[in-house]
Amino acid sequence: MDFEQASPALLAVEHVRKRYFARAGFLSAPKPVDAVVDVSFTVARGKTLGIVGESGCGKSTTGRLALGLEAPDGGSVYFDGVPLPKYGSPAWRAIRRRIQLVFQDPLAALDRRLPIAAQIRESLDIHAIGDTKGRDQRVLALLTSVGLTKHHASRYPHELSGGQRQRVVIARALATEPDLLVCDEPVAALDVSIQAQVVNLLMDLQTDLGLAMIFISHDLKVVRQVSHRVAVMYLGVIVEEADSDHIFKHPRHPYTQALVASSPTPRQKIKTPMLLTGEPPDPAARPAGCPFHPRCPKVMEVCRSVPPLAREISPHHHLACHLSEPVTLEAMAS
Amino acid sequence: MIRFIISRVVRAALTIFFVMTFSFIVLRLSGDPALIIMSPDAPPEAIIAFRKAWGLDDPIWLQYFHYFGAVLQGELGRSMRDGRSALVIVGERIPATLLLMVPALMLKVGIGIPAGVYAALHRNSRIDRLVMSFAVFGFTVPSFVLALVLVLVFSVGLGWLPTSGADSWRHAILPVITLGIGGAAVLARFTRSAMLEILGQPYIRTASAKGLKWSAVVRGHALPNAAIPTITVLGFMVGSLLAGAVVVESVFAWPGVGRLLVVCVSNRDLSVVQVILLLVASTMVCANFLVDLAYGLFDPRIRQAPRGAGQ
Amino acid sequence: MTQPTDKAVTDSAEGLMPLAHDRLNAQPFPLSVSVAIFWLSFMCFVAVVGPSLMPYAFTAIDLKARLSLPFTSLHWLGTDELGRDVFSRLVISIRISLLVSFVATIISATFGTLLGFLAAHYRGWVEQTVLILADFQASIPFLIFALAVLAFFGNTLTLFILLMGIYGWERYARIARGLAIAANSQGYAAAVRQLGASPIRIYLGHILPNTASTLIVSMTLVFPEIILLESGLSFLGLGVQPPMTSLGNMVGYGREYLTRAPWILLAPATTIVLTTLSVSILGDWLRDRLDPTLK
Repeated sequence: MDFEQASPALLAVEHVRKRYFARAGFLSAPKPVDAVVDVSFTVARGKTLGIVGESGCGKSTTGRLALGLEAPDGGSVYFDGVPLPKYGSPAWRAIRRRIQLVFQDPLAALDRRLPIAAQIRESLDIHAIGDTKGRDQRVLALLTSVGLTKHHASRYPHELSGGQRQRVVIARALATEPDLLVCDEPVAALDVSIQAQVVNLLMDLQTDLGLAMIFISHDLKVVRQVSHRVAVMYLGVIVEEADSDHIFKHPRHPYTQALVASSPTPRQKIKTPMLLTGEPPDPAARPAGCPFHPRCPKVMEVCRSVPPLAREISPHHHLACHLSEPVTLEAMAS
Repeated sequence: MIRFIISRVVRAALTIFFVMTFSFIVLRLSGDPALIIMSPDAPPEAIIAFRKAWGLDDPIWLQYFHYFGAVLQGELGRSMRDGRSALVIVGERIPATLLLMVPALMLKVGIGIPAGVYAALHRNSRIDRLVMSFAVFGFTVPSFVLALVLVLVFSVGLGWLPTSGADSWRHAILPVITLGIGGAAVLARFTRSAMLEILGQPYIRTASAKGLKWSAVVRGHALPNAAIPTITVLGFMVGSLLAGAVVVESVFAWPGVGRLLVVCVSNRDLSVVQVILLLVASTMVCANFLVDLAYGLFDPRIRQAPRGAGQ
Repeated sequence: MTQPTDKAVTDSAEGLMPLAHDRLNAQPFPLSVSVAIFWLSFMCFVAVVGPSLMPYAFTAIDLKARLSLPFTSLHWLGTDELGRDVFSRLVISIRISLLVSFVATIISATFGTLLGFLAAHYRGWVEQTVLILADFQASIPFLIFALAVLAFFGNTLTLFILLMGIYGWERYARIARGLAIAANSQGYAAAVRQLGASPIRIYLGHILPNTASTLIVSMTLVFPEIILLESGLSFLGLGVQPPMTSLGNMVGYGREYLTRAPWILLAPATTIVLTTLSVSILGDWLRDRLDPTLK
């Protein structure tokens, strides 16, 4: 699993911040909500980064920042070594060919007035890929590659099932042969019975096409299945990031531990379940210090005032927690 | 609540400002009033003197500033016809218009709201269908056609009422009915749909499910909530009373502001038209303001939440 | 590509959703809607081919046959104070009134939708300006506004149509803006934008077709109001100017002869009422079928 340093990362996200303003009332001053506080990560070519967290932890916003769908308030996003161009500019539109998105709700993401073949073809039309005949053939090939048939080509989105629609969205995203695919909760809106099929499809495509992927989900099991690396987010920060197998076997952050404990796998022995207590996180009311401290079972005095910094505690394992800091350990030992 | 009132006042002021600017631009761009007012064979010196007297030879921005300054001092110009104050000319027509509008408004509210409520409470009954057809006709029959039909029946046919003029209270009957019927139809339709929407809400079902008497549910829950959209329409009606007067006063030769407007528009009497425009805008703004305040009374949420279309 | 018997959907427990247009077709036309459609088709027919069927030129004066009664072999609907054939004048009036209302509706819908899309696309001060203008337009009675503009700019048919074309723009603008913002924020438009599509492709290729049904319903709701406005202004003598004639114009001039020759104004008045009634019935029906959210 030692791929990281082999080549420069395809996507490098460095210290991005994003703040939204929520209008509480007609005239009251808008209230700042920090969706993403300070997030850095890289995605290597051909590898999948999973981002997990509860709703409201900023994982979707992180995805949108990585895609360039929104400009960060601070920090920067590099794609293939170059900063992402300005949103909406011609250069930005051109780079869409290389970064694609799979949405959570495929029905909303598709134009209900167009047959699906025309929608898949649209990516090719926009980026002027191939000639008319070539595009038609490519559409059919794409349909086949996502497990649909040419009989589906003239169907409209509402005539398809949820799983089929998501396949169409995936086919459209793949049409331009992107380098990076961002999947934002791609299976959350699907029936449980279908989720596995779509996840398997994504994994197969990733292997076959050598895609890099950011897989955003609240579902630990799915993330574990698809990801090479996993980042755990809590209230706008990445609290822990490591290789997938490693983080699930040896979670170090109390929050990761709680998540892993609450999502048992068949072969895992259930130890004492570590349940999260307290209010679910609210980005509009961030606590001081470590964002997780109000719910942390191992909370210390320092956690209430000093936000922990992310450090590499072992190769490729980053952690933002006072518990693992040498000073704290010494303090605890004494 | 104070913030709420301030924001409404600012909006009202903005509307008035827009109307003044609009009327100024439209009226000034529309051609040379000197040539329109003076006879074509008037000597050139007379035309120049006229322009000078009315400030028409100043640059347009200067005229604009003068105009605003004058309006703020209550000096709204003089009729270019007879040199009388435009404000006075309009002012002396207002009572006649009110004489039609107030009874008409009472008729609208008196017929429209009960009819709408009744129709909603007895949905799909024969009376509901009758009210609805009445409402559709109110929407589709133009007021001048309605007025002429009434004249044809009650004045020409039956000879009960005079066809036009303003000599006695009997002259007012047909204009009031014309205005009242159309407005009542609009109001009935709005009240009905507002009531129906409220009656379909879960809290109405809850209220009646917990054993409250139906009449108490209607009085305590449905009517106050349905009042909010109805008040909006009513506010617009009050605000546009003058617009309604234009056609009806013309048909019945009623000496009110509406007829004055038509005459002055034909004569291109700038100052008087400006005054009427400002009068209409002020009425509209006041009506909207009252509606907003009424909203606050009926629905405390409005004081906080943003209003208007969109997100 | 035809749809051969394809295999059942395999990966889903969900069934196929019913087609939207099936729902539309399943319901028979109510009688009132059929009558309305018939009347409107008839009006369009008269407007298009009517002038070639007219027995007289609509301006032809025949002083010997002044105020002739209707239902005679020479003049089906009688003649007016100058002996002009009422039927011929009615045909031309229908043509002019429909032309004004139709063109004005198109102008207003185009203009309003464009402004709505601009507001949704640029947001910020563009959006604020459009919204303030829309508020302003909605708060001033249009008849007063129109009177001021018309009388002071003089009156030509082109100017009159353009003026009528302002009526109702704010409604389209608000609808178009609202729908475009919704589509941009999470829907298909956001998806197509992220594919790299240009704004023109997004708005004309996706948002416009998707909002068309709502906008068309709004057009059927605005259209009768424009007919009423046109006829009202013409009635006051401030709309379509003689020698040209329109429905409101005929009623206005016929008013002088209300007692002696009511047929001069009854025919155009009936036409106005039936036409606005038909469009309203059709519009309400379309709204209930296509877009129940619109009021």
